[in-house]
Amino acid sequence: MNRAIRRVGIGVVALVLILVLQLTYLTIVDANNLKRNPHNVRALLSNANRPRGNIVTADGTLVAQSQKVSDGTVFKYLREYPTKDLFAQTVGYQSFVFGSTGVENTYNNALLGRENQLNLNNIPDIFSGKQTIGTVVLSMRADAQRLAQQLLGFQRGSVVLLDVKTGGVLAMYSNPSYDPNPFVSHNNQLAQAAFTAVQSNPDHPALPRAYRERYPPGSSFKTVTASVALGDGVATPSSTFPVRTQLQLPQSSNTLKNFGGESCGGTLVASFTVSCNTTFGQLGLQLGDQFVPGMAKFGIGQAPPVDISPGAVPSVGPPAGSFASNQPLFAFAGIGQGAVAVTPLQMALVAEGIANGGVILQPHVVSEIRDNNDKLIRRIDPSPWMTATTPQVAQAVTQMMVQVVQNGTGTAAQINGVTVAGKTGTAQSAPNQAPHAWFVAFAPAEAPRFAVAVLVEHGGGNLEATGGRVAAPIAAQMLKLVLGVK
Amino acid sequence: MSFSPTTSRRGAELGLGLLAAIVAAFGYLLVQLAQKPDVPADLWVIFAAVLGLFTLAHIAVRRLAPDANQVLLPIAALLNGLGFVTVARLDSNLGRIQAAWTAVSILAFVLTLVFVKRVRTLERYRYTFLFLGMIALLLPLAPGLGKTINGARLWVGVGPVNFQPGEAAKVFLVLFFAAYLVDKREVLASGGRRIGRMVLPEPRHLGPLMLAWGVSILIMVRETDLGQAMILFALCGLMLYVATERAAYTVVSVALFLTAAVIAYQLFGHVQTRVQTWIDPFKYANDKGYQLVQSLFGFAAGGFAGTGLGLGSPKQIPNVATDFVFSAIGEELGLLGCVAVLIALLLLIGSGYQIAVRSERPFSKLFATGLTTIIGLQSFVIIGGVTRVIPLTGVTLPFISYGGSSLLANWVILALLLRISDDNAHGTPVGGSQRTARAP
Repeated sequence: MNRAIRRVGIGVVALVLILVLQLTYLTIVDANNLKRNPHNVRALLSNANRPRGNIVTADGTLVAQSQKVSDGTVFKYLREYPTKDLFAQTVGYQSFVFGSTGVENTYNNALLGRENQLNLNNIPDIFSGKQTIGTVVLSMRADAQRLAQQLLGFQRGSVVLLDVKTGGVLAMYSNPSYDPNPFVSHNNQLAQAAFTAVQSNPDHPALPRAYRERYPPGSSFKTVTASVALGDGVATPSSTFPVRTQLQLPQSSNTLKNFGGESCGGTLVASFTVSCNTTFGQLGLQLGDQFVPGMAKFGIGQAPPVDISPGAVPSVGPPAGSFASNQPLFAFAGIGQGAVAVTPLQMALVAEGIANGGVILQPHVVSEIRDNNDKLIRRIDPSPWMTATTPQVAQAVTQMMVQVVQNGTGTAAQINGVTVAGKTGTAQSAPNQAPHAWFVAFAPAEAPRFAVAVLVEHGGGNLEATGGRVAAPIAAQMLKLVLGVK
Repeated sequence: MSFSPTTSRRGAELGLGLLAAIVAAFGYLLVQLAQKPDVPADLWVIFAAVLGLFTLAHIAVRRLAPDANQVLLPIAALLNGLGFVTVARLDSNLGRIQAAWTAVSILAFVLTLVFVKRVRTLERYRYTFLFLGMIALLLPLAPGLGKTINGARLWVGVGPVNFQPGEAAKVFLVLFFAAYLVDKREVLASGGRRIGRMVLPEPRHLGPLMLAWGVSILIMVRETDLGQAMILFALCGLMLYVATERAAYTVVSVALFLTAAVIAYQLFGHVQTRVQTWIDPFKYANDKGYQLVQSLFGFAAGGFAGTGLGLGSPKQIPNVATDFVFSAIGEELGLLGCVAVLIALLLLIGSGYQIAVRSERPFSKLFATGLTTIIGLQSFVIIGGVTRVIPLTGVTLPFISYGGSSLLANWVILALLLRISDDNAHGTPVGGSQRTARAP
């Protein structure tokens, strides 16, 4: 009988080998197919059933955390946003119904502990089953964000504040905003109702105006026009322009008028200081088709690669090579009107480029990833995005922007003991609507650290609103906070 | 007989058992840590209980079967420990019941060693065991006693305790088959009737066996326990082959099996369902194939190293603690854990066949083969079922699945194997005379 028993034994070994082969197929070979199968809800559940990392601001305020709950649902953790509407448009939310947005989306792997570096540091944990989750540290500051919210008050608009040395976003707030907490509720009906309410609100609180809405920049765009004109040798700071009230446009019976029907001109510096439209309209015409590649070097036409999802929208200018067929468009582009439409983030990046001797860094709202034990895993290092212009041109434009704040339209942005470089913008929007109020600035002018862009939609409803009156004071307050000036 | 081999065997058993207890305790610790980051207060209780139960079994072996194989008991302890950890992770209430059944099973293990002094004494009562086996199979059909759970009438309820007598019936029937085949194997092997090239035995020699086998299978089919029917079918065929060493029986068994499978497929809707979901589970992912599809997702989620104990979603699989316990292991311990379980089972089965090969007595040989084959077939049928190697039939994974009757039966099988192993070591100079004495 022994021979038969041994044969049966060999049969058992063969069957076990078949099982091992099939197990290898299921766990290794076919695993990804099975994981992607639409019937497979495990990925969703496993994300819901493991803690998710915290998101904290640079100054230590908790923006997002996961709380362990037992609320009778399949979910073990509830996502919470203690700062409510303050960071909704940058940090976003992670919902099992509506998906995820913002930093919650772009840094999902870090928050779940799936970042390679997190895994490498925790190889022993793979076998022990211990969970490693990452903490996402924002470059954004809660105090700056709160100040922006407070300064905008009931006015719709945006404030973007950048650290020009790192490309880190310190504040990026748009009014109105919304509270993401109901979106992530485990009560589906409640979540759905809150979501519908926000989506159908005519003020679009879910729209991150700072990086996903385009506005005419008005005169704040003269920073770009001046830089391109200086860089291309079309003008020098001392070039003179005729003093006049309006500019006759080619190919058209229209004219381009100065603000308030004033008469202005003279040197480029003088024209920039008082924001003379006729001079910059003329520069737009003189630049012609060179203007489009010139503004492209500032990033117009490209989406800034900010680490938020969905990302920033690209800002736009006149169509390339269209000068011959539509010359007035280039005159209006010179003063930031017509075909030019930009995001507040883009204008902050323009200010940063001039502040940085022409170099624009990739903007980012996250500065670091840390592990459970607060150990640094990854730092988001400064990396250049665009070379907008030369240091010489940047220096010349800085001088002009200093004049704007000291003697021109932007005196409201003055800060005691700090030289501020800035430019106002009062952009025509729609007929019978107040213009958009803009201010772009950086400080200190001699050794720039921070750049800011402020947009107040329709001047906050005031028909008399100008960038200098409405936006410049907000920019000054923001700069004072981060410069530590009382 | 020297003293030292015995001591070293039992020493190895104790050492390995200690390792098994440590594995179980660590597994329990991980499961608890996954829920809250504190070392559970009852960790030492669990560790002490596992170690205590193992020590009890170990002392029983030391006293009652000192020369028995040394790996069987630690492997059973390891599998039982891992099973407890998995069941407790899935449902802490089931975990407590499983722990109680483990204690009862180990007691049964000790009692089996106490009462079965020599396996050959069992040989004498073959028809009693056949009768007991039939009764055990019929019990669930008895009105008042029987209970239907999950569509199969396999249970007998006495008070709060539900018992599946089918598990015990398998052991009784193996005993009968072994004893009967030892008597008739020569006539069966020589054959009587020639049909074409095939030589078949006289019906009167094979008759009682076929009757027992057929009736058992009919009863199981009546209870819609097709997994057990399949195992019994294969078991009987394999024992017939081992007893006679005639491949013809295997051919006949396979032919009979296929015929039975086709008939079952035609007759029973649930057999058709099982085959359909085996061929294309994803087509029925939301209904008939849900369990199997979830099981496959579990293995995929586990990958190589698993999600970690307590960190997967094995509860996505209905009935995960009984039929699908291996999928839970696959999800949380990964391919590594699955292969470890398979190696442990292979060592257990290998040791069982080794005991069979080393037995001098034909009855012991065949009995050990049968007992080992129960564990082997049962493991293959359920693991193959949940991994889609074969159509799914609900049977328990030996020592691991939740279920008291199955645990009890497996520990009794283990005791019987150790008894045979101990007999082997003592040699049986009286073997021949013993058999003549028993002849009528």
